[in-house]
Amino acid sequence: MQARMSWSAAPERGSTTMLRLMLWITSMLGWQAGHLLLYPITAYFLASSPRQRAAVRTYLDRALRQPARLRDIFRLYFAFASTILDRLWLVTGRTRDYRIEVHGLDALRANIAAGRGCLLFGAHLGSFEVLRAVADAGSPVALSVLMHEANAMRAKAFFDALGGTERAAAIIPLGRPDAMLRVRECLDRGELVGLLADRATRHDKLVHVPFLGAEAPMPAGPHLLAALLGAPVMLAFGVWRGPRHYEVRFEPFVEAPGQEGRAEREAATAASVARYAQRLEAMCRAYPYNWFNFYDFWATEQRP
Amino acid sequence: MASGHSTALPPQDALPLELDLARLIVSALSLEVEPASIAPEAPLFGEGLGLDSIDALELALAISKTFGVQLRSDDERNHQIFASLRSLAAHIEKHRTR
Repeated sequence: MQARMSWSAAPERGSTTMLRLMLWITSMLGWQAGHLLLYPITAYFLASSPRQRAAVRTYLDRALRQPARLRDIFRLYFAFASTILDRLWLVTGRTRDYRIEVHGLDALRANIAAGRGCLLFGAHLGSFEVLRAVADAGSPVALSVLMHEANAMRAKAFFDALGGTERAAAIIPLGRPDAMLRVRECLDRGELVGLLADRATRHDKLVHVPFLGAEAPMPAGPHLLAALLGAPVMLAFGVWRGPRHYEVRFEPFVEAPGQEGRAEREAATAASVARYAQRLEAMCRAYPYNWFNFYDFWATEQRP
Repeated sequence: MASGHSTALPPQDALPLELDLARLIVSALSLEVEPASIAPEAPLFGEGLGLDSIDALELALAISKTFGVQLRSDDERNHQIFASLRSLAAHIEKHRTR
């Protein structure tokens, strides 16, 4: 419980305050001013969140394979703050001044063209908003996003504030019995459904898998869902490479899983989670400062 | 000492369809409980039986196969329908095609 409080207290909730502040500043002075302000803002968040900082250090020690220095931690916080600033532009489709390199869009388009609904597994890695900007621009079908209820409320408030009512409507909040029925209906219509498949909450069924050198609990739900629905899955990452520079990757993950019996499905699910963790690990090695889970990811107790 | 007070029991007795549904829930979700032990009025999700939304999906697939009833997300009464074994069975009774 304690861990849950602290976890949601800083960057996540703080980011809402930061967002409002930046929304105001950037609307007055533009992106450049917002970008410059990221330095003091990052320093402030770095100084005021010792527990999150410790968690980030634990992660970076593993991802960098050497003890993280303060500048490494700053770099990660700065990347996080940058993606939040950019959300203000990306959510309203103002991508003109951005350099966005996209890989794997053809594979995504092939799934869409085939009329097969497709699940997109993301992670708290980089920017989900840039993914959405790309997916929306290149996609004739709707993209809905599955979210935990608290985040869903925050996101909805955010989109409402920016006038993105369509985005607000495209959020499927978890925690309701019929959430997955909605996912199925979206997929049946050939649409895309995105979700973040890395973070396990206390309510999730967990699988412990090797991740950056130690066992970490990850949620089985997304993989079970894919197996149950027989839906193809693609991984989706929106990596922050630098100021207004992103790299978006869509990667085939599961073509169309068979709907095996329950026992087989559980074994297949465990294997699928392990494969996802492997892929995520490779991304963390390649882009270590894009990891935005500000709690002890490997802790088996005290889930958010 | 409370054994004589069985007058409170009848409303908790499961109807035949409720028992069928309880068996379907247990088999579809591989639960380790006796179907007859699922209290008809107890919550299925969260507390109570502790099912989650993925269980709900799995259950919806099984219900559609067994009873021909399609559960959909746009039904505003879903909270009510999914509330308990009793409410779910009542919904199935009303819409079943097989």
